[in-house]
Amino acid sequence: MLKKINLNSLIPLAQRTCFRNYSQEPAAVETVHDDDFRVLNLRKTKGTQQQLSRRPKPPDVPPPRYKQMAVDQDWGAVWPGPKTFHPASVPLPVRQGWVPLNKTVPGKFANAELMKIPNFLHLTPPVIAKQCEALKQFCTPFPKGLETEEQQEKHFPVQFISSDYVHGLPTIRNPLSRIVTIKLKLSQLKLDEHARDKFLRLIGERYNEETDEITIVTDRCPLKQQNFDYAMYLLTALYHESRTVEEWESSKQEGDMEYYNWHNNQSKVTSTEVLNWGLPGDSKVEPPQEYISCVENLMNEGENEYNINKYKESVVKMLGLA
Amino acid sequence: MLLRRSSRLIKPHIGLYSTVVEPKLNVDEFRTIEDNPVNHSKQHIGKYYKIDDGLKRKLFSQGGLPKKYEKQIKTFNEACLMVRPQAIEIMEYINRTDFSKPVVRYLLYGERGAGKTMTMAHLAHYGHENGFCLVHVPYAPDWYKRPKEFGPSATHEGMVDLPLDAASWLIHFKSQNNDLLTKSEVGISKTYDWSKREQTTAGSKLIELVDHGINRAKYASDVIAALMDEIKIASTAGKIKTMVLIDGYNSFFNEQTRVFSDTRKKHPVTPDKVTLTQPFINITNFDWCNGVCVLSVDIFGMLGWERESYLPRYLLGKEGFEHLDPFVPIKMDKYDERQFDSCISYYVNRKWIQNTAQGFDKELKFLSNSNPYKLMELCNSV
Repeated sequence: MLKKINLNSLIPLAQRTCFRNYSQEPAAVETVHDDDFRVLNLRKTKGTQQQLSRRPKPPDVPPPRYKQMAVDQDWGAVWPGPKTFHPASVPLPVRQGWVPLNKTVPGKFANAELMKIPNFLHLTPPVIAKQCEALKQFCTPFPKGLETEEQQEKHFPVQFISSDYVHGLPTIRNPLSRIVTIKLKLSQLKLDEHARDKFLRLIGERYNEETDEITIVTDRCPLKQQNFDYAMYLLTALYHESRTVEEWESSKQEGDMEYYNWHNNQSKVTSTEVLNWGLPGDSKVEPPQEYISCVENLMNEGENEYNINKYKESVVKMLGLA
Repeated sequence: MLLRRSSRLIKPHIGLYSTVVEPKLNVDEFRTIEDNPVNHSKQHIGKYYKIDDGLKRKLFSQGGLPKKYEKQIKTFNEACLMVRPQAIEIMEYINRTDFSKPVVRYLLYGERGAGKTMTMAHLAHYGHENGFCLVHVPYAPDWYKRPKEFGPSATHEGMVDLPLDAASWLIHFKSQNNDLLTKSEVGISKTYDWSKREQTTAGSKLIELVDHGINRAKYASDVIAALMDEIKIASTAGKIKTMVLIDGYNSFFNEQTRVFSDTRKKHPVTPDKVTLTQPFINITNFDWCNGVCVLSVDIFGMLGWERESYLPRYLLGKEGFEHLDPFVPIKMDKYDERQFDSCISYYVNRKWIQNTAQGFDKELKFLSNSNPYKLMELCNSV
């Protein structure tokens, strides 16, 4: 403020009066009270403005750290743990961020995009190798005879899946860690046709037909061990329940069947009658297996052009029209 | 040498060294002069043949050809049918059939407008020329969707009768088989008592039975039931050959009909409560011989909410499938390249298509997807 006034006083008086010659106020008054009042300068000249502004001096910032890094440094020491991205410590020309077409992607300095995403700079392969080497002393050798997946499946048919959570909180418990999943190939269980059918009905949608795998997920108990015990109990109960034959099961009708069995259906009666029509009573002609499987496919897989065509071919052959 | 010379002498109008070209019939590429379907074979596939006008009237005057096609016949001034490969396939099967074995049921299926009804008509012509007694139902769903008249049956309690439909079918049957019925000596196996005063005695001709049904519409449905039994008996005995053709066969197994059990039209009945249903289900059973059944399933024979697929198992339902099984399903496909070209040339020949700018056929093919019915519809405006 002081400087400003001094500068104003440096401007020749004659020039200032010249600016204000259209003003009704006498110029002499202004000059008299120069020190007391601020001047309302409506027509600021460019020259005076430039003289007034002053650029702040940039602070003393040391050069980024990566410029002093050796090529063969120990990166694990630079970046020992998980950390938000820091442009000065990472000696990589990383770029990140969305830009319109034909514009340059922002660099790593002052780039919030790079800071937002998680990074794995603390898990470089040499670091992992080093950590593994350190952990080796706590490991036991891999059991013999379990090298292939078939062997593993044979000796340990039940697959047990659960999750552990590690985090820095006052409590070390995570409610999600109680959930237990057990998986098992259905073929591993010794079931006959009836038991298998019953087992599948009991287990419902927990059976995957493509992989022949059953999956039981338990989460109703508060602890992992309890849930595991419960899952094993369920498996045992299902297995034994499916092997028992109840009295009412013998009253199963054709309408209750879950699949079409040609031998229990009208198709068997009619096709046998058609083939034996007009023949002497003793000789019995049975419909060919091809026809039987075609009818069963048509009914079980559902109707499509392919199945209809197969059915047609088999009927034409059976009736001797080919 | 002598033989060869004599053979030359048979054709006196062509001299030995004459330059006169042997007269050649001028036939278009898309037509065949073979008008008798009995002689049709694979070489006629895709070609048009002409049905004689009188014969057309005899076979299809009561129905059997689609209405739009009838209109086209009038416009074109000739009744021409294309020989489709499916018809030839069935004819070949029939030729190979051992007629001492139970009847083989053929089932035509396919999309709307693929030519099921037209193939039926072709086969009806074939059957007529081949001396088959025709049991032809032009379109069975008509009975259930648009009955002319319905009322409670006099003879079967709890059943509904369609007397006018039954009588008009008998007229159709009679017009198709008149010659055969009057000529043949096929008698009735037992006496039918219609009422106290009316009866058809055993040994009287089939045509008398038919005439009775036509004159007394009240008993028409019962006459049809009797007629089907008699046809089966006569065929099994080898007296006649029978060809059963039923279009829209799936309507016999529908869930519901538009036939009502009361005059206020409140309670629709199922097809099995209609007296007309049983005889036609009966004749499509396998327990007779010396015959052939050609049936078709039509998606439009179904009620509105059951038109998801045109495949036979879906349209017939469980009951219908079990009744027909084992049958020979035959798919009516859309036109292939040759049939399409032939159809287009026929329309051009009839001056039905007059705008033959370059690429018009490709455009038509694309628009119609080679579906015969759609092509016909499209060409109406070309």
